[in-house]
Amino acid sequence: MWKFTVRRIGIMIPQIALLSILIFIMAKMMPGDALSGLIDPSIDPATIEAMRDRLGLNNPWHIQYVDWIKGVIQGDFGQSFRFKMPVTELISQRLINTFWLSLATLILTYLIAIPLGITSGRYNDTWADRLITGYTYVGFAAPLFIFALIMVWIFGFHFGWFPTSGSVKPGLSPGTFEYVLSKINHLMLPALSMALIATVTTVQYLRSEIIDTKQKDFVVTARAKGASESRVYNRHILRNSLLPIAAFFGYEITGLIGGTIFIENIFGYPGMGQLFLESITLRDFSVVTTVVLIFGIASILGALISDIILSLVDPRIRIK
Amino acid sequence: MSFLEVKNLKVHFPITGGLLGRTIDHVKAVDGVSFSIEKGKTYGLVGESGSGKTTTGRAIIGLNKITSGNVLFDGQDITNLRRSKMSARRDIQMIFQDPYSTLNPKKRVFDIVAEPLRNYENLSKREEKKRVQELLELVGLSPESIHKYPHEFSGGQRQRIGIARAIALKPKLIIADEPVSALDVSVQAQVLNFMQKIQKELGLTYLFISHDLGIIKHMCDRIGIMYKGRYVEEGTPEDIFTNPQHIYSRRLVAAIPDIDPRKREQQLQFRRTVKEEYEQSYNDYFDDKGLAYQLQPVSDTHLVALPGRG
Amino acid sequence: MEAKKIHLPDNTKDTDRSPSGWLIIWREIVRDKLAYASLVFLTLIILFVYGVSLFLDQKEIVTVDLFSIHQPPSKEFWLGTDYGGRDVFGQLIIGTRNSLSIGILVTLMTGIIGITVGLVSGYYGGKIDNIVMRIVDFFMILPFLMIVIVFVSVSPKYTILSFSLIMTAFLWMGKARLIRSKALQETELDYVQASKTLGSSNLKIMLTQVLPNLSSIIIVSMTLNLAANIGLESGLSFLGFGFPESTPSLGTLVSYARNPQTLEFRWWIWLPASLLILVLMLSINNVGQALKRATDARQRRG
Repeated sequence: MWKFTVRRIGIMIPQIALLSILIFIMAKMMPGDALSGLIDPSIDPATIEAMRDRLGLNNPWHIQYVDWIKGVIQGDFGQSFRFKMPVTELISQRLINTFWLSLATLILTYLIAIPLGITSGRYNDTWADRLITGYTYVGFAAPLFIFALIMVWIFGFHFGWFPTSGSVKPGLSPGTFEYVLSKINHLMLPALSMALIATVTTVQYLRSEIIDTKQKDFVVTARAKGASESRVYNRHILRNSLLPIAAFFGYEITGLIGGTIFIENIFGYPGMGQLFLESITLRDFSVVTTVVLIFGIASILGALISDIILSLVDPRIRIK
Repeated sequence: MSFLEVKNLKVHFPITGGLLGRTIDHVKAVDGVSFSIEKGKTYGLVGESGSGKTTTGRAIIGLNKITSGNVLFDGQDITNLRRSKMSARRDIQMIFQDPYSTLNPKKRVFDIVAEPLRNYENLSKREEKKRVQELLELVGLSPESIHKYPHEFSGGQRQRIGIARAIALKPKLIIADEPVSALDVSVQAQVLNFMQKIQKELGLTYLFISHDLGIIKHMCDRIGIMYKGRYVEEGTPEDIFTNPQHIYSRRLVAAIPDIDPRKREQQLQFRRTVKEEYEQSYNDYFDDKGLAYQLQPVSDTHLVALPGRG
Repeated sequence: MEAKKIHLPDNTKDTDRSPSGWLIIWREIVRDKLAYASLVFLTLIILFVYGVSLFLDQKEIVTVDLFSIHQPPSKEFWLGTDYGGRDVFGQLIIGTRNSLSIGILVTLMTGIIGITVGLVSGYYGGKIDNIVMRIVDFFMILPFLMIVIVFVSVSPKYTILSFSLIMTAFLWMGKARLIRSKALQETELDYVQASKTLGSSNLKIMLTQVLPNLSSIIIVSMTLNLAANIGLESGLSFLGFGFPESTPSLGTLVSYARNPQTLEFRWWIWLPASLLILVLMLSINNVGQALKRATDARQRRG
């Protein structure tokens, strides 16, 4: 177990290094640099050139890379050219919003997936199973952005049940009960839209896993020994099928990130995904770089956590 | 000069482990094996699974990399030669154990049997078809079956297709790795007799690998018994079956079932004695790692791994 | 006398041929009603879209006409017009064609790269395999969408080709991983070892022995990829990082819904394209799933 964890972290370190290089290359491909955000257009070009020299922007690329990494480690991501403020400040509020959105999505995903998956697997080939399978079929094919658009069109605009943009009703002060309620209200539709699509693979996995386990010898033996059906399911089948699913949440992070870009855009939700798109359109590249770096590291960490949990659940993985 | 000579053959597989995945040890699948085969004869290699007999065969034909030692074929050193660079390779062919995985399920019989011909001989489509049909007839299959897929044949028929493919290039040596183990007993004899028939017709030399002493006795002119990558005994069938010297061989020979039911009690008693002897004298016949010693000659034809010089 | 048949070996060629794997798969699909209907529907859509777009002038359709902005569906404009007064129906046809074309192009390119890398990596195994798979793992964890968007937005001289190259550059890894694991399994089988002893070169074994055994999994995964790639392209176009407006795709039409006014009141602009994407992806997936079942059944019977 510890051996696996150490080795797995050993794999992660070069991954993060590779990620940082990739992002650095992307940053170098982008027009403009840290100075473009700071400098008044009336300043004489010679002075800019001097400042460039002083800030090390004319250094060879590997020295610039090291400087950049040093800054990143100290939490200095540079200046936003658009908002004229440090990227760190700009990001913090957005990051919290996206965190809540992702959390709500994950919770909803599991809340939907587990009962559906269990019903579908336990009572397979009944009408309930066919209905659920039909839903997974459509959900598997439906692109998130189209599903979300239709959701917001129907429930947001047509019925008016949910707000169609923002993360909280303006004018409420943080900490009050109304504020929290409004936050949840704003979260519901985007999180539900994402969860209804994201849950599909989990439902399918759980269903086939339960159907497989049902025929395994140890379950047949448990039944033959006279264990009640609910005991067979709770003690024998679910224990084997649910654990891997719990471990998948780390892998979900990569998917969630792609999802938040669409969802935040469609629901006008002020999170990281929206900030990313805005910054790209405004060519505010220090923000873009930071967002990609943060999400990249989040994905790598997510995969790390999932791998470690899976290795606890399934000893065969450890041997690899 | 012998036709095939194997000198002190070693095949070791690395075991990787630890945090960095370095090589920490080796599995000594074959650990110093020497033997030679005369032309036109059948040499039997016996042992339990994991004894290294299959690896020996695969190393000779070049499927496993030889760690050290030499393989001489018809006077030519073929140790670790690249397949493509060697003309001698077409003279050595192999029959595999599993008739189900040895034939590509996506290929028709025609393409399967024609594969070696296409690699080595420049035949026209017509000649090629004729040759394949001849080969199929030779192994007792209808020439019309060339457009069928392997899954349409039984295990015994598939093994015949495998044999047809192996003899397509008119090889001189065939390594038969448990050629009948996967087949029903009723089919086994059929395939074995057929192999003996084509041996005579084509003047083949066999290296016959099996765990079944009964088959080995039926087929072979000379026998080597392997245990944990080493030889424990080598000799003629008479040496091995009537006068086994090593305790391991004795136990193997004792395990051959006897069809006479009246002797059952006697046989059981005999086996029990051998088992006791095996357990008592295990340390005399194997070194402290449980491996066999060097072979020592006990007669002109008979070699046994007994403790002695080393 | 006339009943006596003369057996000519050359005549056996077709009569004695066993049905090939493809024929069996085809039969399975025809038997699966949903998949068969999807396949017919897809064929009709493809024929219609590519056929009609031959007679449509893309330039004319994407030209702004300020006199007919935001018109609801009418006889002249079957699905109304967008904010530039452009005919939505015409854009829908051209958009479907463009989306399908790029979907197919990207699927083929990722397929070729993925199959090559996966086959080599799985066949040789060992160190090469280790390194390749580490790289593939790394790219598969990355937030794909973000990185593609960044590359799209910074790529100089942005064209449809560069767009599909960027997509391909970050999409081949999944295929490589899949093919690699299957190739690894196949390579362990005796028929590959047999081919080696029969004197076939590694290249020949990979292409003529291992590859045919991967064909069913390749077809299945390429079909499913095609659906995913169409979804991805339209998603990127929806966000404004796919096709330029002068080459409409289905996603471009949907992207007009990013304007809340359009989303709420002018459904005819974005809804048909959305539904079309949905139906296209469903149909392609149906065919893919049926193929998957067909090939699985074959393996079970093995």
